[in-house]
Amino acid sequence: MNFVWENFVIQLVAFLILFLLLQRFAFKPLFGIMEKRRQSVLEQMENAQKNRDEANKFIEEQKQALQQARKEAYDIIEQAKSTGSKQADAIIEAARGEASRLKEEALRDIENEKNKAVAALRAQVSGLSVLIASKIIEKQVDEQTQQQLVEQYLQEVGNKS
Amino acid sequence: MKGVKRTSMEHLAPTLDLGGFRLDLSALFMIVLSSLIVFILARICVRNLSVEKPGKMQNFLEWVVEFVQSIIGMATDYKRGKIYLGLGLTLIMYIFVSNMLGLPFGIVTEPAHGAHTATFLGMELSVPKNTEHVSWSWWKSPTADAAMTMALSLTVIVLSHIQGVRLNRKHYLKHYFEPWPFFFPINIIETVAKPLTLGLRLYGNIYAGEVMIGVIMGMSWIGIPALLVWQGFSIFVGAIQAFVFTMLTMVYIGQASIHEEH
Repeated sequence: MNFVWENFVIQLVAFLILFLLLQRFAFKPLFGIMEKRRQSVLEQMENAQKNRDEANKFIEEQKQALQQARKEAYDIIEQAKSTGSKQADAIIEAARGEASRLKEEALRDIENEKNKAVAALRAQVSGLSVLIASKIIEKQVDEQTQQQLVEQYLQEVGNKS
Repeated sequence: MKGVKRTSMEHLAPTLDLGGFRLDLSALFMIVLSSLIVFILARICVRNLSVEKPGKMQNFLEWVVEFVQSIIGMATDYKRGKIYLGLGLTLIMYIFVSNMLGLPFGIVTEPAHGAHTATFLGMELSVPKNTEHVSWSWWKSPTADAAMTMALSLTVIVLSHIQGVRLNRKHYLKHYFEPWPFFFPINIIETVAKPLTLGLRLYGNIYAGEVMIGVIMGMSWIGIPALLVWQGFSIFVGAIQAFVFTMLTMVYIGQASIHEEH
């Protein structure tokens, strides 16, 4: 083995030059790119995490909105049901009132007609009875007695009515 | 200069003598080639960078980055060892490419017939005295040379000491006297041994691999299956050594500069 110090110097200088050149022209850009990629991967992972969180939040919100809508729908149906039954009650009530009113009116009419009929009958009866009585009495009673009878009868009628 | 063939013998390094500075042309050539391959590979990988749709090459380099990150994570605390990521990447890529380069073939040249030496760009290649047959090897792993692996290991060991003094002074200085003050010489030996073992382990593994290839080449056609097996094993060794070197670099830097708070 012969140790040539000149080779030592050449190798030393060459290695330093190679190192500097590689560092400047190859490693620096490469490390930059690798660092950038690392950053972008980190960023993307962060983004993915954020998106997932957001999605979860949205799902939660949707669930709540759905719950809300369901509740509202239930309320509306309940309300409609109660309104319907109330209306039905009111209609029935109104119908019942109307019916009783009509019935009362009819009763009143009937009473009126009856009274009228009774009055008319009474007037006719008194006339007829007078007529019948005068026919019968015409042959047996003189004018004076007849006068007396009519008076009496009228008196009676007048007292009755 | 002529003749390109598989090497099987010990060859000289084609060296120019520039006023006392022995410029090893093959070392220079292979270092520049390895560095260029690493740099071009890295540039191809980062050509069309994209955050959303990384291409095949970008994925490959990111895989390497993650591999080195896991090495740092195993050796020390990753958060504080992060700044050494570029260093670890350069080391593992450069050492791996260097280890692989020596495997597939060799280039050996001989001086023109009858001449004792040859010239390169008009300059004479130096030949040691009393050398009978001259041939030069132009192709070898940069990491199959002890001087070059020691350059790498000293770089990272010196870096670890600097970082130890800068970032972790109290514990760094104290560790030389632990567990008791009279352990100081032993700790010094350990400190000296670290760069030596780090550099020589890599050199030994790769150099031995190349020597073995040379030996197998000498066995003519019988050696072909052995060569296949050995080259496969050398690929494995080269990868393991690149990993070990990077791992130990991170361990040493971590030991010196990062103090775990208990």
